[in-house]
Amino acid sequence: MKRWFPVARREELSPRHVVHTQLLSQELAVWRDDAGGINAWENRCPHRGVRLSIGTNTGSELQCRYHGWRFASGSGRCSFIPAHPTQKPASTLRPQVYPVLEHGGHVWVALQPVGADAAEPPPPPPQPADGLSLRSLYVRAPAARIAAALLRGYRLVADQVAPVEQIDEFSLRATLTAGTRGPALQFWLQPMSASATTIHGCLDGTIGPAERLAVLRHHNTQFTLLREESERFG
Amino acid sequence: MIESVLWDDWHVVAELAELQRRGVWHTRLLGVALIVQWDPESGLIRARRAAEDPRSGSARAVEALEVRYGFVWVSLGRPTRPIVEFAECHEPDRLLATAGSVGVAVSGLRAVENFLDLSHLAFVHEGYLGEQPHTEIAPYAVETLADGTLRATGCRVYQPKPSPVESAGFDVDYIYAVLRPYIVVLFKANPVEQSRKDMIALFVQPVTEESCVAHILTCYLPHEIHPPTVRRFQQFIFGQDRPILENQTPKRLPLGARAEASVRADLSSASYRRWLDAAGVRFGAIAASA
Repeated sequence: MKRWFPVARREELSPRHVVHTQLLSQELAVWRDDAGGINAWENRCPHRGVRLSIGTNTGSELQCRYHGWRFASGSGRCSFIPAHPTQKPASTLRPQVYPVLEHGGHVWVALQPVGADAAEPPPPPPQPADGLSLRSLYVRAPAARIAAALLRGYRLVADQVAPVEQIDEFSLRATLTAGTRGPALQFWLQPMSASATTIHGCLDGTIGPAERLAVLRHHNTQFTLLREESERFG
Repeated sequence: MIESVLWDDWHVVAELAELQRRGVWHTRLLGVALIVQWDPESGLIRARRAAEDPRSGSARAVEALEVRYGFVWVSLGRPTRPIVEFAECHEPDRLLATAGSVGVAVSGLRAVENFLDLSHLAFVHEGYLGEQPHTEIAPYAVETLADGTLRATGCRVYQPKPSPVESAGFDVDYIYAVLRPYIVVLFKANPVEQSRKDMIALFVQPVTEESCVAHILTCYLPHEIHPPTVRRFQQFIFGQDRPILENQTPKRLPLGARAEASVRADLSSASYRRWLDAAGVRFGAIAASA
């Protein structure tokens, strides 16, 4: 599918960590090198199929847990095979590498393989610089069911349910009715598989430090209710 | 329809001591649910298919059943060859000990391949069966013998703690032999008697295409070896392999040469995959043509 999907919040890619996630049933190993570069790779060593997400982020390479093969940040090319330390690995040895970018508060991936003929999809829509990323939530329900639940309205502030408009299959927006001062919330649905989805959210509008914690807690509660509602129709 | 090379062969379905402790043992072989029973009065062991058997819909007795090497073996079909034989097991001074049965959520063929694998020792078993920076794998030879056995010789690995009783490290010589699609054995130089070898066999029970139970048999020379120590050591080592095996995708073993990249150190593994393909093994595998 030629589009960008958020797969994690930026701060989840902490130093020397490897994030395991999934997009349209494709497992991904997402990691940041010490220079700040991010990688989104097929979560599978090309040698014997072991998940790279159980490997080691060395800061410049991802090292497989099974035989210690190392793959370079950026290209994904195998840089070292410990069983043959004096030989240069073949340039074809690499996991599938996917386009990845940081945009707003999230890390985005397109499942268009790097190096394929087709160009990368157009960039994701712009996000406000001062947006507040909400805690993402994994839900055992297809994206369409979550979208349907959201379209019944979203409690954007404690005392008001806001209408939600669907922008496309995987993104929606809640805004308080015209004339009312207040924030807007952008939702992105990350389809993990045909039956599971991670909901990401970003709140725009200025939120002061004093109310920040209460706002985060409010939306965490709303996301949890949304999950319970979506999973109920299994 | 499961291929005769597996269906008509012998497979371990229980450790005898464990069966005797419990009396009844529920398990599965090649997807078929089995119930194994031990009668303490007569000492007889019987096995039958559980009623859910999809082939017949009834609970049929399993006629081919034997006890060997401390394990219960059965064949679901008509066995065309005997249970694997090991000359070492008949040597009077050998210490024959089962070292446990470990369930693994992966094809048993992946478990056999891991047992044959040399270059993971320095990483998965670091500090025991291998150690960095001694990671280089020297050339070794793999051949198919006249009786069909796939054998790897000249395998040599530096090991910091090569056995349950060893404290000093040294270069260890190995010979591996794949006797049946799901049965593999290794011989490693004994530190005391240089001319003789300790033996460890892995009898893998194919439970489903994507899960197995690995039954371990050890046949050590008697120098300072005690069964509980052996058992603990082997289970510790297998406990290091298990999380790796369970993180392999796909769970079945691909037999095509290009499905997964191989280097020279993987000669055993690449040969094993070709050998399986030539033997027509499909249960637990992804065929080369797929």
